Amino acid sequence: MKLRESNLFRFISFVLIPLTIIVYAGFDRGGYYTGLINLVGINIILVASLNLVNGFSGMFSMGHAAFMAIGAYASAMLTLSEVQKLTLMPGLPEWLMALVLPFPITLLIGGIFAAIVALFIGFPVLRFKGHYLSVATIGLIIIVRAVLDNEDQLTNGARGITGLSSHSSTWIIFAIAIIFMFILHRLLNSAYGRGLIAMRDDYTAAQTLGVNLTTKKLSAFCISAFMAGVGGGLWAHMINVISGKFFYIEYSFKIVETSIIGGMYSISGSVIGSILMTYIPELLAPLENGLKIFGTRLPELYGISNIILAVLLIIIIIFRRQGIMGYSEIITESIFSIDTYKSVFQKQEYYKLLKIVGYKIKRIGSIPGYISNRILNRDNKEGK
Amino acid sequence: MKNRFGGKIVSFLLVLVLVVAMTGCGGSDEASDTINVGAIFNLTGGQASIDEPSYNGFKLAADEINANGGINGKMINVVSYDGKTEQTTVASNVKKMIDVDKCVVIAGLSDSNYALAAGAVAQEKMVPFITSGATLPTLPEQVGDYAFLAPFGDDVQAYAAAEYAIDELGVTKAYLLTDQSMEFTKTLAKFFEERFLEKGGEIVLKDNYMNKDPDFSAQIDRFIANQNGAEILFISGVPDDAGVVVKQFRDKGVTLPVISGDGFDTPLLIEVAGADADDTYVATHTSLDNTSEKVQNFVKAYEEAYGNAPENAFAALGYDAMLLIADSLSRTTDVTNPTEIRDAIGQTSGLEVVTGTITYEEGSRVPNKSVTINKVEGGKFVFQQEVNMSK
Repeated sequence: MKLRESNLFRFISFVLIPLTIIVYAGFDRGGYYTGLINLVGINIILVASLNLVNGFSGMFSMGHAAFMAIGAYASAMLTLSEVQKLTLMPGLPEWLMALVLPFPITLLIGGIFAAIVALFIGFPVLRFKGHYLSVATIGLIIIVRAVLDNEDQLTNGARGITGLSSHSSTWIIFAIAIIFMFILHRLLNSAYGRGLIAMRDDYTAAQTLGVNLTTKKLSAFCISAFMAGVGGGLWAHMINVISGKFFYIEYSFKIVETSIIGGMYSISGSVIGSILMTYIPELLAPLENGLKIFGTRLPELYGISNIILAVLLIIIIIFRRQGIMGYSEIITESIFSIDTYKSVFQKQEYYKLLKIVGYKIKRIGSIPGYISNRILNRDNKEGK
Repeated sequence: MKNRFGGKIVSFLLVLVLVVAMTGCGGSDEASDTINVGAIFNLTGGQASIDEPSYNGFKLAADEINANGGINGKMINVVSYDGKTEQTTVASNVKKMIDVDKCVVIAGLSDSNYALAAGAVAQEKMVPFITSGATLPTLPEQVGDYAFLAPFGDDVQAYAAAEYAIDELGVTKAYLLTDQSMEFTKTLAKFFEERFLEKGGEIVLKDNYMNKDPDFSAQIDRFIANQNGAEILFISGVPDDAGVVVKQFRDKGVTLPVISGDGFDTPLLIEVAGADADDTYVATHTSLDNTSEKVQNFVKAYEEAYGNAPENAFAALGYDAMLLIADSLSRTTDVTNPTEIRDAIGQTSGLEVVTGTITYEEGSRVPNKSVTINKVEGGKFVFQQEVNMSK
């Protein structure tokens, strides 16, 4: 009997606890820790949308930061006040200058812009396979950066845009994250998604089965870009500062890294990856500015967190190449399955959970024996 | 087979993360007899060569104040984070200082790109922010009423450079090279040009580059082809480019004097360009050669604390920012109230610090301070003149 087979356990760990944290964060607006939880939400959006392209469709795009940048700048143009736009974006046409829209609409527009750009560059770029596609998408980042840095009148150049208001509340971020996860979950369990996976596994076989590769690739790329654009808009209005320098290769790599660590063949992997990659740097931050341990102060080690993170990435790649979640979809399956919610009202689910927990606790006492048995009887067990 | 460990790993990680999140939420409260002051500096990245001395100066001043009994009996606790020369890191670390560390006033940064990012966050949370080294004169207006400049504005240093070039160096034809990626460099170039033309000078050629361009040969070739009798090069740049650009000009045989603002007041200029850095004039905040007692006491204290002389004027600026904060805090009755601290900062008048005298005139949040002109001679910054500018 395994813990993860209990619906009640799934409900508690994947619905109840996250929901409690989100609600707590939602009411505690503006705190730093709330900010971190929000960041997890945004990362989930970015990484999940990247997984659609990199994991499920077998294309390897590195250009996510470019779509984020487009979404961020487009939504910033529509949320800044007229006074701010006069100093930051003096080159805007007059009607745009005075136009200030509600935040969710600007997100949508940002996403649509990103999708349109993806559509245009998708035609030529998606003819590439493998590394060639990766390099071409890195090229896209460079183009977007060059435009942002040089279109001084529209983007304030390399100086960036400061003073965006904090519109991205926990509610909006997680509402969008859950909607996007649901869309992706449904998409991947439909004929469309199976077509994508077939395309990833074997081009020719997929084609003989009637999968239209061009539309499949292009549509997946655009959906992913749309979500990245929305994520960029959310991000901009959380950090309050955007500049071309940020939406660059480094950040794109960070998203890819998160996707690989979590598991790029799984939407659930994006959740785990985002949580880890948001919190680990935060936990390591005290090391950088001189941690106090038992009254003695360690020296200030600026830059140490990057090193530790890099080592961690290497370890994960060596020992678990498919990422932490691998192909498992346990989180999305639990959240979007009706059985999970029904289990709360079913008596036998509680009994089942108690039984499993009791069994686990009993086993803790005999851990050394358990390990040695496991090593010795590995083959026997498998045979069962 | 494929997922034998999957479930266990997932549940383990989730528990781990939750535990961490919970412990994180607690936060540790320091005893209330300390005042938390935020220090945000770019200790790594392109700004490090000027921000690190600044941070050292800032800490030095805090230590001295604490050694002398603190502020009305309360000790200063400097909470510092690395901005990493990234606007986003700066912004999120300022948030952290205010929300987690409960800093009542924040200071730091030597470039307006980053100071604007930090200031906007502090303004939203209504905590006063003092930039120790960023010189954009419109910064307080752009950010809001919680933002202050501790140094002079760019307008003042650019005017001083322009006047020094014409009055003391006797040149009238200048070449203008501007880094287009920074608010600071663009403003500096604008004000230099304005005053240079006013005084009857002439800009014979203008050119641009971007921060961190490794190669200036296109610009230099263009200059050599169209010198038009230029007598001086005004290069509006930031520390990481300073040495590189001067060296490349000299390598191509351009021997004209170079003049710039405080962005060139960095040890990098001399380290990178070596002997080629000679004949470079820098308009900056102070000269460490200045024989006044204030400056020499500071230099001595810095040497004792860090084992080397202050690297540049930014060390003094960091020191001064802390003095400014201490002075304002000592005039505040409730040091937990950021708004009251802001009002106290705004009323600062006649505060003698290493880089001059800080007075915020009615409603202005930019002090009027003197400008020092230094010249690189034999691998050292040598004091030339201190000018009192009126806008």
